[in-house]
Amino acid sequence: MRLFSWWLRRALSAVVTLFLVSILIFAASRLMPGGFAEVVLGPFASPEQKAEVSARYGLDQNILVQYWLWLTTALTGDFGISMISGEPVTTEFGLRLPVTAELTVAGFAAAICLGVPLGVYTAVRAGRGRTAAVGRLASGLGVSVPEFVLGSIVVFLFSRFALGLTVGGYVPLSEDPGQNLRSMVLPAAVLSVFVIAVTARTTRDAVLTVLVEPYITAAIARGESPWFIVTRHVLRNASIPVVTVLSTITAYLLGGAVIIEYLFNLPGVGSYIVQAVGRRDYAVVQAGVLLAAVVFIVLNTLTDAAAGALDPRFGTGSKARRSR
Amino acid sequence: MRIPLLYCAVAATLIVTGCSAAPTNTPATEQAPGYLAVTDESAPDGGTLELQMTVDNGAATGLDPQLADVATAWQLMSLVYETLVTVGPDFTIEPGLAESWDTPSPTRYVFHLRDDVTFSNGRAMTADDVTGSLNRLLESEGVWRTQIGPVEEVSTVDERTVEVTLSSPYEPFLAALANIPAAVLPMKEVADGSVDLARTMLGTGPFVVESHRQDVSWRFTAREDYWGAGKPAVDTVNIAITGQEQARMAALQNGNADLVMLGNVDAPQLLQGVRGTTVATQATTDFYYLMLNSNAPGGKFSDPRVRRAINIAMDRNAISASALGGLGKPTGATPAGLPGACDPAQLPSATAGLDQARQLLAEAGAENLTFELAVFSTEPAPAIAQVIQQNLARVGITVTIEQLDEGSWSGKVYGEVPATFDAALSWFAGYADAGMVGKWWNPEQAGFNAGFMKPNPELNSVIDAAISTADSAERTTALRELCTAVDEDAQMIPLVTRPALIGYRTDTLSPTLYATEGYGNVFRGVADFRLLTQ
Amino acid sequence: MSWWHRTDWLTRAGLLCLAVLVLGTVVATVFGIGGDPEAMVGPRLAPPGGDYPLGTDQLGRSMLPRLFEGIGTTLLLSTVAVLVTAVIATLLGIAAGYWGGWLGEVVMRLVEVLYSFPTIVLAILVAAVVGPGQTATVCSIILITIPLMTRLVRAAAIIVAQRDYVTSAVISGAGWPRILFRHVLPNISGTIAVQGTYALSVGILVEGGLSFLGFGVQPPQSSLGALIQQGSTYLIAAPWLVIVPGIVLVVAILAINVFGDGLRDSLEPREARSLV
Repeated sequence: MRLFSWWLRRALSAVVTLFLVSILIFAASRLMPGGFAEVVLGPFASPEQKAEVSARYGLDQNILVQYWLWLTTALTGDFGISMISGEPVTTEFGLRLPVTAELTVAGFAAAICLGVPLGVYTAVRAGRGRTAAVGRLASGLGVSVPEFVLGSIVVFLFSRFALGLTVGGYVPLSEDPGQNLRSMVLPAAVLSVFVIAVTARTTRDAVLTVLVEPYITAAIARGESPWFIVTRHVLRNASIPVVTVLSTITAYLLGGAVIIEYLFNLPGVGSYIVQAVGRRDYAVVQAGVLLAAVVFIVLNTLTDAAAGALDPRFGTGSKARRSR
Repeated sequence: MRIPLLYCAVAATLIVTGCSAAPTNTPATEQAPGYLAVTDESAPDGGTLELQMTVDNGAATGLDPQLADVATAWQLMSLVYETLVTVGPDFTIEPGLAESWDTPSPTRYVFHLRDDVTFSNGRAMTADDVTGSLNRLLESEGVWRTQIGPVEEVSTVDERTVEVTLSSPYEPFLAALANIPAAVLPMKEVADGSVDLARTMLGTGPFVVESHRQDVSWRFTAREDYWGAGKPAVDTVNIAITGQEQARMAALQNGNADLVMLGNVDAPQLLQGVRGTTVATQATTDFYYLMLNSNAPGGKFSDPRVRRAINIAMDRNAISASALGGLGKPTGATPAGLPGACDPAQLPSATAGLDQARQLLAEAGAENLTFELAVFSTEPAPAIAQVIQQNLARVGITVTIEQLDEGSWSGKVYGEVPATFDAALSWFAGYADAGMVGKWWNPEQAGFNAGFMKPNPELNSVIDAAISTADSAERTTALRELCTAVDEDAQMIPLVTRPALIGYRTDTLSPTLYATEGYGNVFRGVADFRLLTQ
Repeated sequence: MSWWHRTDWLTRAGLLCLAVLVLGTVVATVFGIGGDPEAMVGPRLAPPGGDYPLGTDQLGRSMLPRLFEGIGTTLLLSTVAVLVTAVIATLLGIAAGYWGGWLGEVVMRLVEVLYSFPTIVLAILVAAVVGPGQTATVCSIILITIPLMTRLVRAAAIIVAQRDYVTSAVISGAGWPRILFRHVLPNISGTIAVQGTYALSVGILVEGGLSFLGFGVQPPQSSLGALIQQGSTYLIAAPWLVIVPGIVLVVAILAINVFGDGLRDSLEPREARSLV
């Protein structure tokens, strides 16, 4: 019952948040200077042509009416028509979503498969002293190299020298899996560096916190092996911050993909939204941001639910608060 | 924002290519006069050609060629649509769908059509298609309506003959006919409603559209029944739209693309030593120009003396050297390189000194002038703006650069009438006749400029003279007067020409590239392109 | 034991790096070392050496003064933005954490709304609405860093609000301004300082990303992101255009992060143990 009311509350607050996001993005897209008609029709268009285009997309109506129409049709799953391509927004998103999803999944997998073990290893291996500082420095370096710096260098090196992998030349997974993987390895790798480092740092911190708990002391006293201690005691108890950071990371991956898609010329969602902002393609901007918000909110809710399941003191037990 | 592509043609000098191509990657083909590259006819037929360009067609105006107003749209549409006449490698007008034409008087043109031309739906092209297309253009709202000139009547004489009557002599008429907006459309299908030109492309050209994803890619396939013998040589043309310069360079280097458009003026240097690639520099008649808003807030530029002082302070050679790596040429209102174009070094602003500029500013009471310069963020425009800023600092003018995305820039410059910006930078296509682009200096004809230009009756009469004079000596004088009048008016100040850089793989592609181009169409020879490897 | 002595060598090194960067930039700017960063004085793309210790860029401008200007711009914009964030996030966080209730609910909803915009998309939208430039950069950094900081300040405030000294202050009839300024604020200042440090590194990243996509500071002003963006096409012909500002950018972010870690560890001391 308590769990049910928790989900109900989360669902309600998610709806409120999404509603506010929809207002904000709608307002922001209309506040951008330079109207759609000027942008797409260019300087040569006559006032009549501009008026005609505005009327075609309902841009001549009252702004509140426009918002209401957009919101109500969006609720039915219809996000309107891209004013640039004349195609339904959902069609283009459907084509582009796999690209961004592939990047995100790759980054997420890297965070779990490399970041978590790395964090545990450095924590268990070296708690203090010079080696700890080196570990901190290494993971710090990972979060300090922006993807546009690393990406530029990778694009340069791999296009200039035959290093086995190609830059660009994206092929959909459904068309040619092999070629698709070849073209996605580099962007995914560049995107992963940051998330691996962040995950490793968080995991390391969480593990270090757990390692000084009395029950670990007891386990050591019992003579249990380090492997046993880590798998049985540490991982479970250190998992909440890790789960939390993994959800943040997914949100980051969705946004961070923008620069990667731009650099590697991948036809993903991120670059589409950025391009649409420049073109004042309102329907695309609005749908894109709303989509990202939905993904983010769902992830956040799932994370909190997972954290609650892992540790009843946290999250779902409404009033209980974790203290250190 | 690539604007009106009003391209003009130019004296094709091969200077740039000469120094850009390293000895190791000089194209194997013999370069003929007027060409940067000529296809090796011994190379095999077939294969898939991979091209990359920077932006897609104009979009919301759709695929209707008569409404197309940017060069990228003309470039893409030229694979499908053809015109009565075309522009040859040295800006001469060559036969296209018309195999010949007569001009019984300066106001009458009679075109004799080829008899072997079919649309890609199999129907043979008729004289009615030609007449109908031109009449449709005259009724359209497209920008080319202005450039096609004072057409009084278009009539079908017989199955293979069309006659056009002008109300007054119009020298650039054939050059204007040679651009995509004047293409021959399938008028029968348009009339019966079976084809919507805004959504589908149906022309007489060498290719048909197989698929298009807006802002992502195009796929064209060769027509079996195309009238040009042995053309097109390739089976398929893929065009990827790639906004990022580095991504296009990468695609060229690793062989994902056979030919790419490049924006960086240092591209020849950057790709030097990369095996199997070369960068060709096509001289275009496009040119950058500075707009000074006569309606600017506070009347900053309403005094012609202020505008003239700014014009004098422009160092066009420095703009070319610093911002364009020396690849641009100083130009007046008649694009440098086109036959009959004026010598920019002789213009009043070029011969006056900085002291004169300072004096003009003092007379106008504008010694400490400060203004904002709006520029779109596509290189090299921001670089040019920064050189302009340095130029003007020499006469005490402070410029603040406002670098905007395409949408904001367009809205700021063209969104309001009267316009509220101070100054802006853009480029015109120069077209294939020296008098054509001059029309844009008459805001009554070029409505898009009306927000920031005040009509200048004196200038307008000079513009009209430049396009109606036929005799070549008289025309040179008229064009020089046009340049001088524009120079003095200084509401739109021509600066330097815009080079087009084309990177291609010499180990996979044997292209045909003109040394000069008036309509921004690098793909002009694409039906001739041959792949060296299959 | 002073704070300095409680930190390890890495934290001190981070602080030292930052101090050198800031002082060096201030000195170079004040004395005009390297000349006018905007003057096109030299040949284009000249390699380092001679008159141009760090070479020249694609417009023939000396890179040394441009680098100093770039560091200054990047650090200044990020710092200003993070200071604003710190003030707003503290107010919102305390409001939500100390008082809670409907006020807290409203604050958290607003924060969540901001949080659910992908960062770089949010920054681009801001740049499109207010016009690209310094204002857009600062606004973007503020909007991007507010959510996380507000949440963490709120979490800290909730804990502090339950502490005995706050309870006793309330019982003894102290007014809320006194409680906030005497008891709550000092006890969450550590969190604010640590999160502010991290926000600073996020700010630098955002500035770089925005400039890289062309929505950042306006030319001819330089920033680290703008320098890297402009130089990135020239990696083969003029690698110094990217390498120097790239290293400076990475070092700056690294120094800030390392310093932030050290600050956190010294404020929340934690035992450590090695299992192996």
